[in-house]
Amino acid sequence: MESAQHPSLWVICAAYNEATTIGRVVTELGRAGHHVVVVDDGSGDGTRHIAAAAGAHVVAHPINLGQGAALQTGIDYALARGADILVTFDADGQHRVSDIARLLDALRQERADFALGSRFLGQTRNLPPLRRWLLRAATVFTRLTTGLRLTDSHNGLRALTRKGAGAIRLRQNRMAHASEILHEIAQSGLRYVEVPVTIEYTAYSLAKGQRIGDSVTILLDLIAQELYR
Amino acid sequence: MIAQILFSLLLCTVFLYAWIEYRRSPVVAVLSSLVALAGLYFVWVPSHSTRLAEFVGIGRGVDLVLYTWVGISLIVILNLHLKLRTQLEMITVLARTIALAAPVAAPAGGPDHPVAPPVSLPLDVSAARRSAKNRALADASGRRPRRRGDQSAEPRR
Repeated sequence: MESAQHPSLWVICAAYNEATTIGRVVTELGRAGHHVVVVDDGSGDGTRHIAAAAGAHVVAHPINLGQGAALQTGIDYALARGADILVTFDADGQHRVSDIARLLDALRQERADFALGSRFLGQTRNLPPLRRWLLRAATVFTRLTTGLRLTDSHNGLRALTRKGAGAIRLRQNRMAHASEILHEIAQSGLRYVEVPVTIEYTAYSLAKGQRIGDSVTILLDLIAQELYR
Repeated sequence: MIAQILFSLLLCTVFLYAWIEYRRSPVVAVLSSLVALAGLYFVWVPSHSTRLAEFVGIGRGVDLVLYTWVGISLIVILNLHLKLRTQLEMITVLARTIALAAPVAAPAGGPDHPVAPPVSLPLDVSAARRSAKNRALADASGRRPRRRGDQSAEPRR
């Protein structure tokens, strides 16, 4: 699918110290004709300059807040620029640009407001067994807490319509935002669809990714959020 | 008697704290109140605390009071954690406003929609957040915002 058919499609990349990969990611997205906004989350390695040189819109948090906060900033930016479709895309290069077209097709065909990538419907490469088990457990947790019947609850590749993006508001600054998005989707009552995508793990993305201990932090963050207004 | 009065004053302070905190965190407020109420009861009727302590296998009534106090302390710590989260939300709003007000790079050729001007920072972050979300929901769907437990909206897939 050519992006000329989607002039208001914006890809949001939250980046923290991603100087190694952000240039390539932005270049590939730009080559596909997408508008790209990189939210530099307080990096100290020149990520913002590399992203800007590669042609992205760049907004920069003055301090590191976390991926969830960066995504919400990117959503606000893209909506203010008139985005009709918003795509969240990891900055570490583990997603495929070609999968964006599949998300868009699913949005259109299913008349959905959220298209959520699933590595378990699609493919994963080099996914460690322990992480696979952890992701499965997170999926079960999501089913129990939200009622959403998903196969992959922590996939960073998603597409949202303008209506869908306006219906969610991320309050979890850090990694718990992935679960929070699903809670917000469930509460909004808007349509969602899962789409097979490919995720290719590299030594770099594995080092940058979540660890086992993060799952406990995520759980505590979600509980704490329920305790206060 | 002096110890009882001192403990009662402390527990009344916990009640006051719970009342003040109710608006921010009802769960913490109710838990604090219940624990403080139990503490007051056992301070003034220590024989019951001893019987209850024996029943639950603690041993002495004074130990039960001590455990109650530890429980209150943990709840207060939890509430402090929640307050820190609120502070973090305010910092997030501030940082986001700064970031959106001055993009590092905005290449030409994109849509001409200007970035929304920075909003004034709300004093009550949670209230502003709720109202913003409700507005967005209403604008997006053309219907009234959906709330927790509301089953009247369109069915889920």
